Parts: sequence; C-alpha cells; structure tokens
Amino acid sequence: MYGWIWRHLPGNAWVRALISLVLILAVVYVLFQYVFPWAEPLLPFNDVTVDN
Amino acid sequence: MAATTDQDERTEGSTPTDPPRPRGRGRIATAVSVFGELLITAGLVLGLFVVYSLWWTNVVADREAKKQGDRVRDYWADGPGSLNTKDGIGFLHVPSMTGGEILVKKGTATKTLNNGVAGYYTKPVKSALPRDKTGNFSLAAHRDGHGAKFHRIDKIEKGDPIVFESRDKWYVYKVYKTLPETSKYNVRVLDPIPKESGAKKPGRYITLTTCTPVYTSKYRYVVWGKLERVEKVDHDRTPPPELG
Repeated sequence: MYGWIWRHLPGNAWVRALISLVLILAVVYVLFQYVFPWAEPLLPFNDVTVDN
Repeated sequence: MAATTDQDERTEGSTPTDPPRPRGRGRIATAVSVFGELLITAGLVLGLFVVYSLWWTNVVADREAKKQGDRVRDYWADGPGSLNTKDGIGFLHVPSMTGGEILVKKGTATKTLNNGVAGYYTKPVKSALPRDKTGNFSLAAHRDGHGAKFHRIDKIEKGDPIVFESRDKWYVYKVYKTLPETSKYNVRVLDPIPKESGAKKPGRYITLTTCTPVYTSKYRYVVWGKLERVEKVDHDRTPPPELG
C-alpha cells in the first residue's frame, strides 16, 4: 500500500519524501481537526457528570 | 497485475544476480503486506488519538479558557453591572489541586466543559449559587483532556480550602468529606443537603464531581465542602489567606 503510493509519487527520492511528509501532515491535521473531535463523544472516556 | 509491477520495481535497484521471485507468491504476499500495513496504520491512528485526547485537547481548552476568563475579568473591571452567566460567573481556586484558577460557567454540557472550564449543574439536580442563602453549589469538570481542570482532585484532603471568587466576594469553603468512588448514576450527591456526605441540615455547600479512575469514566469522584465565611473583594482583589 505505502509502497504503491511511493512508486506513484512524482520526482526523485527527495521530492517524494517531501510530498510524503506533506501528505502525512495533512492526514494528521484532518484527524485532529475533524475525525477525533467527531469520534471522541462516541467513546466512553470523557463523561464527568453524574446523571441518570 | 499489481504483483508484476511490484516485482519490476523491486528488481530495478537490486543486483542482477538476485533470483527472480516465484510468481505464485506475489498476489498473496501483496495481500498480506497490505493487511499488515493497515494494521500498522490503525496502531498509529490509535496512538495519535491518545496524543489528541491527553495533550492536544488540553492545549485547545486552556487557550479557550484563558480567553473566556480574560473576558470575564475585563467585564468585571468595567464596574458594576448585572451577573453575566453566559461568559462565566467567577473563578474557582483549589490550592491543593491546582495552582491555577478555574473559570466557572453555567451548565455541564460537553460543549461547555470542553473549553477547559468547570460547569455548575443545571440538571439533573439544579445547583445553587454561592450567593444563595442555602443550597449546594455543584460543579463538574474534566479529569483528563480538555483542560483536565480536576485532574488532581485526589490530592484534595479533608480540611483543605476551596475558594470561589465572584465579582465582589470571596466565598471560602472548607472540604469536610471526599468520596473517591461512586456510581455515575448517583445524582443524590448533588442534593441541596448532600446526605451522603453526612450533612443533615440546610447550609451552603459546594460539591466537585469528576470521573475516576483517571483516563476512564467508569465512576465518579466527589468532594464536598461547606462555606466557612464570605469576604468582600477589596480594590486590589487581595486574595484571602487560604490562597497565599
């Protein structure tokens, strides 16, 4: 999978490494900004109130 | 198809003496390696989620709490005016738990608490406010993540002060009972007279609730205090000796 992505990136090894880094950062950004905030309330780790 | 490309690429950089890989293995090997990579990816994502929960949400919440707290202080500095419950009603100081101040806002909705503040209950049992003649001022805040304002609640001991700072009063409470573990459905801890703490008659109580053990929300940790005295805020906002 990652090998496939690597082979399909343009440029030489340095350019590919740079693009990979940008892609990784983009994925982390999307996770932190959208995916995790969405997933968090669905997981039972952070309820602090007493409630019925 | 994928297997052949894979092989072509792999042999490109290696020495010509390498024996060609057997053809039949290619497809299965690819499937296994993709599966393995997916597992590694899942592991990394879970690791990132931990980083997010325990670090990043604190960064975001502390920033937001600071902003909202500054707004309340600015608003107070402007002179007399009505109590603004939307921005926050005051600050909680618990020296044995945290050196910082905790902004207190109305309600215990996730959205409110996620901003690194403590919220006073509006349901299931409506909280009293410190200025009320009697009642229970009941608060909740996060134990981990989102500011983790009550993270060190277990450091609070009997006799420790809890001070609530409003615009013109210091309300000095004294802890008289802690309950390290109770059911999350135990709403009676919020009662105006919290009988579970041993209280018998109406008074001015404060209740702090958060989740326990750390990093989970299985049970609730409860700390009760009783009002000792009320001090007027002076011109310089000199804190009471308990915060010295």
